Amino acid sequence: MSTYLLLDTSTSRTSVVIVKNGEVVFSEYSDGALSHGETLPKLVVAALKVASQIDEVIVGMGPGPFTGLRVGISFAQSFAFARGIKWQGVCSLDAIASQFSDKDFLVAVDARRKEVFYARYTDGVRIGEPNVCQPSQLDALQIPIYGEALNQFPDPSAFVDIANSNKTYSAPIYVRRPDAYPAPVGVKFRPMTQLDLVPAFAIEKAAYGKDGWSMAQLKEEYAGSDRMYVAAEFGGELISYAGVFNLAGVADVLTLTVADGHRRKGIGRELLRRLIDWSRTQKCEAIMLEVRVGNEEAIPLYTSFGFIEISRRKDYYGPGKTAIVMRKELK
Amino acid sequence: MKNSDALVLGIETSCDETAVGIVSGRKLLANVISSSVEEHARFGGVVPEIASRAHLEAMPNVIKQALSEARVSIEDIDAFAVTAGPGLIGALLVGTSSASGLALAMDKPLYGVNHLSAHIAVDSLNSDHELNPAIALLVSGGHSSILQVNDLTSDVITLGSTIDDAAGEAFDKIARILELGFPGGPAIDLDAKSGNPNAIEFPRGLTLARDLVEHKYDFSFSGLKTAVSRYLAKTPEYIRADVSASFQEAVVEVLLLKAIAAAKEVGIDTLIIAGGVAANSRLRALAQERADKAGIQLRIPPMNLCTDNGAMVAAIGSLAVAKGLRPSELGFEANSSSGITRPIF
Ligand SMILES: [Zn+2]
Repeated sequence: MSTYLLLDTSTSRTSVVIVKNGEVVFSEYSDGALSHGETLPKLVVAALKVASQIDEVIVGMGPGPFTGLRVGISFAQSFAFARGIKWQGVCSLDAIASQFSDKDFLVAVDARRKEVFYARYTDGVRIGEPNVCQPSQLDALQIPIYGEALNQFPDPSAFVDIANSNKTYSAPIYVRRPDAYPAPVGVKFRPMTQLDLVPAFAIEKAAYGKDGWSMAQLKEEYAGSDRMYVAAEFGGELISYAGVFNLAGVADVLTLTVADGHRRKGIGRELLRRLIDWSRTQKCEAIMLEVRVGNEEAIPLYTSFGFIEISRRKDYYGPGKTAIVMRKELK
Repeated sequence: MKNSDALVLGIETSCDETAVGIVSGRKLLANVISSSVEEHARFGGVVPEIASRAHLEAMPNVIKQALSEARVSIEDIDAFAVTAGPGLIGALLVGTSSASGLALAMDKPLYGVNHLSAHIAVDSLNSDHELNPAIALLVSGGHSSILQVNDLTSDVITLGSTIDDAAGEAFDKIARILELGFPGGPAIDLDAKSGNPNAIEFPRGLTLARDLVEHKYDFSFSGLKTAVSRYLAKTPEYIRADVSASFQEAVVEVLLLKAIAAAKEVGIDTLIIAGGVAANSRLRALAQERADKAGIQLRIPPMNLCTDNGAMVAAIGSLAVAKGLRPSELGFEANSSSGITRPIF
């Protein structure tokens, strides 16, 4: 029989449990999405007063918001290393699922950015690996959903059984494509010049059709004052461009366009970062942009940079084409 | 253990280096660094998410390697120290959580320490001199300030700091404009070696007579940055090495002008230069020249101890132990913007 130190920081709840000879002898938690770092050591101090001789550590590996998740894992791996004992990781969602016995149900926890991490359980068994989606997509399945929204959190006292019967993990469960991913090799970022206007127009036309800027508009927007344009080229060819305008202390993204065939490679991300950097050097208080409703590539990118929707403009891109106005404070 | 030769293990994760150092009193036993800088280079700056991920992955091995380099085991460690701020919050938390895990497992004291204080504390590993009092010029990617260090663990006065960009930030930005890559400091340093530092007259920020009234020991590098971009725009045939060298000269001269003036005026004849920019070769050379001329004793840590490392964290932990300071309370809050006036959390 063994004594286990069981930790979970994958949700807004920080939980610490000690199971000794199959019995829970310590179980405490504290709620607060931003305080795992302060809470966890305090709870472990209290736990070790109940049982200081630990044989193994098991920690929840998420999925969950990264910052809190890493608090639990880095604590667990260091504690185990110092004591010279074994540690392992389990899927935190399994420790929510263990509390329910429906034939078919979902478990979901907050993934930030208006998304949830979830997994499906049938006959008590998890189907596949955890995933991420928008909550409305789960509602559409019309089966019970348990989890954070109903104040149901991982119960670490289930970790020992989970580790014995399920897959264990040696690294955090990173479901979402990483927040940052490398720009493709060979892409060069540089200031946009007059010479780029012709190829830029071609990209503009291909991307937006007749809703895009005309050549004359493009020239005019390019030449205006208080703006900065950057370009990305690949193999000597223009593949993307972006521009920002400092309008009386608030930056406005004029355009951010990536040529077809080069999207979803981190080019837009890099360009946007440069626009934000420039706006900061201009001491702008905020940066704003418009994006078409339903642009599923661009909106998550903007959200990940901290842009939030502040209003909508009807017919902005032509009849029936609504724009979402987003803003990020730069203070 | 004697407090003065306690074995202290220090952890640093405030930016892109996962680092662990071990000292015995003022003696450096191990200094292991795993850097994610190459991953960030592609983005032209440090990406917090990549940094935090890399810290978690690297930490166990960096700790093990430091212990084996120091030829000690974890049971031998008398106290732990960890950077608690300033820095990237997600990155800091990997370090503080890991350090809490070690300290709690071994039931040993833990000191959450200030990263900036640690940069200066590393000087104590470098010389037998009494660290205090000193004037410190702290120059890095995030900070540029002149400090009056009466006692590093309890009494530090900020005499001046940058009003816009940090010196290291200016290097990064100019390197980006010159397409020299990231990080900018070493790139410009290298490029400047073949250039003429007097080729272009770039402005020395906040050195006019009227600036010296209100901003005597403050720095400003944003005007210099603008001047460089203007110069490049109107000089299509510019010589890059000359631009690098002249830019670097402008930064280094202002830093030293103000630091030496502070030492003279406050009446402290020791100048410590610390932080990543202290690894700049021109700063090191010119500092020696200027300090000799002014009759000031100059101390700059060796290059590998200027950039972020774990030894500096262990060093300030060791100073705290030697002074009998109370350890931090477990669960102290990592703080992304904490100031040097709070050396121990
Ligand atoms: Zn530093």
